[in-house]
Amino acid sequence: MAPVIDDAGRINLFHEEFARCPQPAYAQLRSRCPVGRSILTDAPVISRYEDVMWALRHPEIFSSEMELHMQLGTERPMIPQQIDPPAQTRYRRLLDPHFSRRKMEELAPGVARQARALIDGFVRDGECEFDAAFAIPLPCTAFLDLLGLPASDLGFFLELKDDIIRPHKGRPDVPHTELQPVRNAAGARNYEYFRRALDEREARPREDMLTALSRAEIDGERLSRNEILDICFLLLLAGLDTVTSTLGCNMTYLASNPEQRQRLLNDPKLIPGAVEELLRWETPVVAVPRLVKRNVTLSGVELKEGELATLLIGSANTDDEHFEDAQIVDFERERNIHAAFGAGPHRCLGSHLARMELRVAMEVWHERIPHYRIKPGEIPRFSPGIREALYLPLVWDV
Amino acid sequence: MRVRVERAKCVGHGRCYVLAPDVFEDDERGHCVVTREELPPELEEQARRGQQNCPEHAISISSD
Repeated sequence: MAPVIDDAGRINLFHEEFARCPQPAYAQLRSRCPVGRSILTDAPVISRYEDVMWALRHPEIFSSEMELHMQLGTERPMIPQQIDPPAQTRYRRLLDPHFSRRKMEELAPGVARQARALIDGFVRDGECEFDAAFAIPLPCTAFLDLLGLPASDLGFFLELKDDIIRPHKGRPDVPHTELQPVRNAAGARNYEYFRRALDEREARPREDMLTALSRAEIDGERLSRNEILDICFLLLLAGLDTVTSTLGCNMTYLASNPEQRQRLLNDPKLIPGAVEELLRWETPVVAVPRLVKRNVTLSGVELKEGELATLLIGSANTDDEHFEDAQIVDFERERNIHAAFGAGPHRCLGSHLARMELRVAMEVWHERIPHYRIKPGEIPRFSPGIREALYLPLVWDV
Repeated sequence: MRVRVERAKCVGHGRCYVLAPDVFEDDERGHCVVTREELPPELEEQARRGQQNCPEHAISISSD
């Protein structure tokens, strides 16, 4: 198989080995070519912590306004992710209170209940495929609760987000270049679903986030129907896939490192720190794209206006120049200013939701199934792009 | 010791009020508010933990 990084120092961000274990490639990139190139797209790839953070804090140069480049089946930019300040700031002022840590903590008991119910379903089997049995349904159920949508729509949403984010999943024989129609069709279904859900709430308001959005105002003006749809599109894409992926990365790590897991069992108070440290070390959202608005030099390399740059968050998070003992996983790390949720004005809107879900999932799982391992003879399989553990067979004694 | 937050830099990561709840709290948007500007010695360590873990470097602690 071709290497993750070729002789010219270019990286294949969609390499299977890179998805499974990206940290060695990060280290190579940072030392060989801190601003490298992608083999597939020739786009600049930025890998040092300092450069990545700088780019994240300068949206006027590294812009998020690039919906056409992303080809995610949208008809307009997703709000607020694909809009830059100052317009983005007005949307964030409206949305941030709905995703504050306080609000998200109120959802914790429900997430714990759901986690227990899922585990009840398979604990006596002594094994499960973690992605399908736990990592996928848990965040998706939380998402439906949060928005006020019926749990019976879970299947519809799972298919939708896979068709948009991973259209290759379930279609291994279709070439990558022919997957765009799948995304576009899913995008249209998504708009249609939320159009109907919003109509219902306008007719009969409820106590849920969609009703709140349908009545929301910015500077005294109601959000338009399209604005609300563009928010919903983002919530679907961002809310379902990322926590699923993080759960899979975390459990792969803990199943493979029983001495680290034992520390969490001995002292569950370490779990929040472990969540932070595994976000740093595993960084499931490996990279974010930004459109270069004007020529700019990073680490001595000039990036040109119009280029679509890849900010390699995972590499920033394991940069020895920034983190002390960066290659060591330390659940009690004193200072951990990782960029797993980004930084600057586009800091992940759902970061408090994600942290709560990850913490609760880790707590409940280890209460119920403290000792587990990867099924002997099996190798977990990771998806390129956002690192989802698509196949993670776990076993335990019953 | 005195704690300050540059509100313009805060984007609501929320690390400060999670790690140092006796010094910082969250406003409605989840942005940082300093609740103990004048730090008693027993809160210095906690405050420093919050300050060090701000990804935006929005918090400062000074000895005046």
